Amino acid sequence: MKFVFFHLMPYTGVENTDAGWPVPNGPFDPRQAAELYRVYVDTLAYADECDFDWIGCNEHHFSPYGMMSNPNIIAGALAFRTKRAKIAVIGNLVPLNNPIRIAEEYAMIDCMTGGRLVAGLMRGIPHEYIAYNIPPSESWERQREAVALIKKAWTEPQPFGWEGKHYRFRAVSIWPRPFQQPHPPLVVSATTIDSARFAAEIGATMGMVLLADYPSAQQIINVYRETAREHGWEPTADNILIGMHCCIAETDDEALEQLRSAQNYFQNVLMTPQRNAQRIVLQQTRYHRDEQNREHWESRLRKRAVQSLEEQIEAGVVLCGSPETVVKQIKRANAELGNGIFNLTMKVGNLPDAAVRRGMELFRDRVKPHVRDAVASPATL
Amino acid sequence: MKQQIELPSGELTYEVVGEGHPVLFLHPAGGVRWSPFHEGLARSFKVYVPIMPGFDGTPFHESVRSMEALAGVVGEFVDRAIGGNCDVIGHSFGGWLAAWLAVLRPDRVEHLVLEAPAGFRPKGSPGLPREAQALRAALFVHPEKAPPSADPARMLANHQALPHYGGGARDTDDALVARLREIAAPTLILRGTADPLIPDESVQLLRMHLRHAYLIYIWDASHAIEIDQPERMLGVVESFLKRSDAFIVNWETAAVG
Repeated sequence: MKFVFFHLMPYTGVENTDAGWPVPNGPFDPRQAAELYRVYVDTLAYADECDFDWIGCNEHHFSPYGMMSNPNIIAGALAFRTKRAKIAVIGNLVPLNNPIRIAEEYAMIDCMTGGRLVAGLMRGIPHEYIAYNIPPSESWERQREAVALIKKAWTEPQPFGWEGKHYRFRAVSIWPRPFQQPHPPLVVSATTIDSARFAAEIGATMGMVLLADYPSAQQIINVYRETAREHGWEPTADNILIGMHCCIAETDDEALEQLRSAQNYFQNVLMTPQRNAQRIVLQQTRYHRDEQNREHWESRLRKRAVQSLEEQIEAGVVLCGSPETVVKQIKRANAELGNGIFNLTMKVGNLPDAAVRRGMELFRDRVKPHVRDAVASPATL
Repeated sequence: MKQQIELPSGELTYEVVGEGHPVLFLHPAGGVRWSPFHEGLARSFKVYVPIMPGFDGTPFHESVRSMEALAGVVGEFVDRAIGGNCDVIGHSFGGWLAAWLAVLRPDRVEHLVLEAPAGFRPKGSPGLPREAQALRAALFVHPEKAPPSADPARMLANHQALPHYGGGARDTDDALVARLREIAAPTLILRGTADPLIPDESVQLLRMHLRHAYLIYIWDASHAIEIDQPERMLGVVESFLKRSDAFIVNWETAAVG
């Protein structure tokens, strides 16, 4: 079983956030940000020493939720500070960006890390479309076309051009090309039926975060597996990535106390503006193709927003407790979902960074040894 | 309006539309399929569209039994009907023919456009679909855009002419591949991203062997690019024919993003 140390790089210390979008940046303190970046990059690099298999980061805009408007910069900062773990950028928000730029920057990271890039090609959550003025209703069209173009830019042996609906390039020949051939492994978010199908169609690993319960997650995983079979391949456990908040402390009570406070900041400060912005986007656009996909996506977040920490633990959708408790929780989730990869967000909200590091050490010493081989994981990644 | 011209090997039927610099369009194995692409092209160019002998009920030229020989006939047509240099566009079977023409008559071909060209498919590639529904599925992502001339029965009947030129089941024309380096004309190669008949390897092989070539993938198009995406194809072809190498530059003004 593989584990990702995933970081959102949240901006901490905000008392409350206005409900509007985007979040006003008046209270932003650059000196604090400088210190946060230093601590966060140190922490991500430390994950390499704590036996995490991947180190993960991703892209968000216009709020304290995450300070990585371009996660490739963080990946670059990690390239020479890490030696073993894969660098998982999960991911760039494909429809928002220039696909050729994504292909180029990912190829750079892959070469700089000697082939350790895991390339996330995400459609992006709805409100992110406001940031770069991209119509959410075009999200699927842009995602499909851009992903095809990125793969072409990585693999085409000679200069080529592309004449598409959303993208047009007459002469492309990226330097460098990716280190991994034909291209780095792909991860695509799969929180709706449509996105699960898309991940399977292009042979990508599926990723699902902020689960509300197992049955809805199992439904998506089944769609992914069935679609992959229709396209002639059989996913392994390593093709299923499940993301969860994770807090490991010496005792269950200590972990509960830490995560409760941190989730309070996460849900009530960091998530509030996003929820409101997403509501506007989803009401006014066709970000989701149909009502079924929309309901699947929204009900998950709705349910998650009102779940108490105890209810999340009971549902098995967070990992929280002593190392021994977390081992049991990981095995339970794995037995239910059949995933080979856990994406662990250990810096939840404003959880103190010292507590995060302690949790990482407990993971290394008292969790990973008991779950490393819990599932046979053919090396597809 | 259809016209006839007498050539040394026999009579050739053709049509001419538009005004401007001459462009020769060589049709695919299904025959000429007039589309908005041709209409758009005719707004800027004088487009010559000959019907190859044996297609659409026209008689074969008995002495012409190969693609190379057929390209010779087309060269005679250019000399006599156009009377000077021209740009050449060929689709599929017509692309194969256009490449031979560019080899044999470099003096006549200014720009070459190969739309999903046949003749360069990997060894062992299957032949053309022999059933109407399969043929439409292979040709179009958007069959609703297909003009009446894309009638499957007519196209399948035209396919019967292919063996006459030794092209019925041919995958790679090795003799032509060996001479691709002789083509001097700037060449634009087009492939629809959903084309099941011409794989990436075919156009990549061409791109590798041609001395002066551009390869453009047309998103959301199958084998009949000019029908699936007429505006996109017209935009890129027109730009290439008018600007030559400078067609890679974006000459439009547009808002960022």
